[in-house]
Amino acid sequence: MKKTNPSFLNGVPELLVLRLLSRREMYGYQIVEEIRTQTGETLSFGEGCIYPYLHYLEAEKQVSSQRREVEGRNRNYYKLTARGRKRLEALTTEWKRVTTGVSLLMEEQNA
Amino acid sequence: MPDFIEQLRRRLGELGCPRMQVRRLVQEVADHHEDLKQAALSEGLSEANAEAHANAQLGDPVALAEHLMVMLLRSSWWGRHSLIAFCLLPLLAVPVLWTLFLMLGLSLEFALGFGWDWKKLHVATDNPVAFHHLVLALHGADYVAIALVTLLFCWLARRSGVSLKWMVIACAICSLYASFVYARIWPHNFEVGITWTPQWIEAAIPLLIAGAIYAFRRRMMQRFQEKVAVKPPAPLREEWNLCRHPIANAKARLWTETGGL
Repeated sequence: MKKTNPSFLNGVPELLVLRLLSRREMYGYQIVEEIRTQTGETLSFGEGCIYPYLHYLEAEKQVSSQRREVEGRNRNYYKLTARGRKRLEALTTEWKRVTTGVSLLMEEQNA
Repeated sequence: MPDFIEQLRRRLGELGCPRMQVRRLVQEVADHHEDLKQAALSEGLSEANAEAHANAQLGDPVALAEHLMVMLLRSSWWGRHSLIAFCLLPLLAVPVLWTLFLMLGLSLEFALGFGWDWKKLHVATDNPVAFHHLVLALHGADYVAIALVTLLFCWLARRSGVSLKWMVIACAICSLYASFVYARIWPHNFEVGITWTPQWIEAAIPLLIAGAIYAFRRRMMQRFQEKVAVKPPAPLREEWNLCRHPIANAKARLWTETGGL
């Protein structure tokens, strides 16, 4: 696995975090683990770097947070807001458009 | 963990991160550290090895603090547009607030002194006592507006986590404005303009406020550092010394090191 993610992935973290939070509420560690496992360890968040990112999304009102005790542990749980859901839809559409275009070009080159 | 968390807390404090943000970030990173440690323990690692594993996973606390600050600055309008926010907005805020306070002062005086009677107000400027009250309202509005705008921008600078430089710039701009823009009143005459003779008292207000806030923050920082006094581990010392422009360095490193993630 590469140590760092390529620079063309800028903007992908927002999409991934919003996508994961659209399924259920999660806390920082869970999000990092989910990204790692669900992308087959292709992508990974630097541990700890997720928090400023989540705070940024919270300041943008795309996610909201609540501190809760679950199984004896206090954690900040993040969930998607209506604005976040709209943003996710826009990012998903954009992502599909870009990947379709890039795939077409790559396939043409391979053919 | 205490060392890691205290270093993170200390660096965030040094970078001027608002106290509430420091508390929240440190709490979340501590939770994350604990999760990493628990995961390592469940894989059969010893307590000490699990601790070391969690520390290694989280990386350098100094670099992490700088990343956190960069993201904090990016997340606020004040952090992204510091030049407009702390250089231009004070110039607009002072006259707006001054006008509001002047109107408020004059309205109060008009209501209390003359019972909203225009005839009485018309002859008021010929009455030395009533005229003295008008002069007080004018200068009061001047001093209060300057002081409040300075305090407001100092608060905004602190809240958004921008460097002390921007707070000082906002105070200097308020001071310059107060030095050269004047308002005077004579019987049956009122004048607002620019003078090349500095008004030292008005100019001193923002500088005094900036000085007091700077001294207060320095004192708080000293107390904070005494409270969380820790020696940086040897590999970090070099980076501590090199961090003369931590935010700029961190900005450049942020996306290249993490590849945007």
